[in-house]
Amino acid sequence: MSRAELFRTYMEAVFDTDKAAAFAVVRAALEEGMTPEQIVFELVVPATEDTMSAITKDPDANLAQHFMTAQIASEVTEWMLERFSQPPEILGRVVIGTSSGDLHSLGKRIVSGCLKSLMVDVIDLGVNVSAEQFVEAALKHDAQVIAISSMMVHTATGENGCQKVRKLLQSQGLEGQFRVIVGGAPFRFDEELYQKIGADAWAADGISAGKVITDLIRGVKP
Amino acid sequence: MTPLEILTAAATGQPAPRIPVFCNLLDQGARELGLTQQDYYAKGEHVAEGQLRMRERYGHDNVWSLFYVGKEAELLGCREILYSEDGVPNVADFVIKSLDDIARLEIPEDISTHPAWGETAQCLRILKREVGATHPICAYLTASTALPALLMGMDAWMQLLLMGPEDLRDELLRKCSLFFQREVAAYRAAGANVLVYSTPFGCPAFVGMKRFRELILPWMKRDLLPGGVEGIVYYCGMAPFNAVIEQVQQELGIGAYYISPLADLAEARATIGQKGLTCGVIDDIKMIQWTPEQTRAEVRRLCGIGMPGGRFLFGTGVMPQAIPEANIHAMVEEAFRCGSYS
Repeated sequence: MSRAELFRTYMEAVFDTDKAAAFAVVRAALEEGMTPEQIVFELVVPATEDTMSAITKDPDANLAQHFMTAQIASEVTEWMLERFSQPPEILGRVVIGTSSGDLHSLGKRIVSGCLKSLMVDVIDLGVNVSAEQFVEAALKHDAQVIAISSMMVHTATGENGCQKVRKLLQSQGLEGQFRVIVGGAPFRFDEELYQKIGADAWAADGISAGKVITDLIRGVKP
Repeated sequence: MTPLEILTAAATGQPAPRIPVFCNLLDQGARELGLTQQDYYAKGEHVAEGQLRMRERYGHDNVWSLFYVGKEAELLGCREILYSEDGVPNVADFVIKSLDDIARLEIPEDISTHPAWGETAQCLRILKREVGATHPICAYLTASTALPALLMGMDAWMQLLLMGPEDLRDELLRKCSLFFQREVAAYRAAGANVLVYSTPFGCPAFVGMKRFRELILPWMKRDLLPGGVEGIVYYCGMAPFNAVIEQVQQELGIGAYYISPLADLAEARATIGQKGLTCGVIDDIKMIQWTPEQTRAEVRRLCGIGMPGGRFLFGTGVMPQAIPEANIHAMVEEAFRCGSYS
């Protein structure tokens, strides 16, 4: 199989959420002599970016597709990273969690899966994360982006969520150091909501969050 | 005509002086009674009282027997709910912590005798006694394909649903469908007559059309067909589902559709036509920021699309606590004003 065919077949497998087919392409690429580094940087990363773009534009794209795309991308990446001759250079670092009082972790999982396959280091703080924990973790891990997922209106807009993260960043003089992105169902119903709660950006779904976050990282990183 | 008669007329295509106006004010009841959320939801009489006072204050047509969505998980063994003073309670204890727990999950033989049903039953007794003859009483029931999300978490359920093992997935779905059948029977027997069938996986935005047809639809049939679809309202958790309305009408025979504010209401109206009740739903998350006049304008817009031809209901979505009271009054008043057929 040529590199172009491998790429196309892998893309199709990911877009069709066919995990077995995606892994078969990676095995074929290994057998044809591609290194794990080549597979990640010449196959997985560009294919994930293209898939993210295609899914974002596809009106029929669905949550299952987002979930499986992220799952396949992160599993293939983890599999290949174990075989790297030396640790890869990461694009940047994100601390991610659900907002205070919110226990819904699906969106966070999809975003994390995409980011890992784009060589972004993800520090997962779990669910029901306080504003203080977000800021402390961002400082401790030298992250560029704080990502806050909220599935409910009161956790998205409440004073203990993103609003408090923004206040803490302001009071500690850290606003230039970090960007804050939010996501989750309430933001789909009011596309200006992210600004009202002090976020720098929002994403309509887990897949498009990958693109928005990598752009934010590039904007912050020297 | 009473609100119940107006709803029946709208659902069956008979003449009525106005459209039904539905509103779901749930957590607001605790503040009304001066109770914490935890204390409020501990007693069925509190929830009933909260519903009656909300209805009296705003004048909408319906009352709810729903405490919070996680109540269903409590019937299946959930022991911890995370309460919040400014929003809806969350399930904080997953009944299914590992796939081995699926075999141990027990479905109560008779929901109405289960200890966790007692307060819901008390709430329904009061609502039925006070307004049951004149006003619709709503219940919220989660479809078999969505209930596992309350029992094991959404991401664990997505993984099992999409990636298997299929035998465990189907065992869990069988149990959840059996639970649904028994739960809907219990609600009907207790006096609920508007049965909101919450089926977020029943929209293509969740699983795509292929999985909808091959995986979700057969389970919805299994949920609904044994008890029939009388009073059932198709609701996908505020996600758009226009693309499946025709198939749901044909295969399940459901007569009422709660249309997402993100969907094209005119398209939904045209698809449902005279074969069922179209429920136009306001984007009530925006109502947090809107003025009363903006709220009224949106009500007029929805009524303008939905009312021609009849068989239309005005409704709300999640009604966050942060919505200003003036906007709720404006919404209900405008729905009654522009919802008049005279």
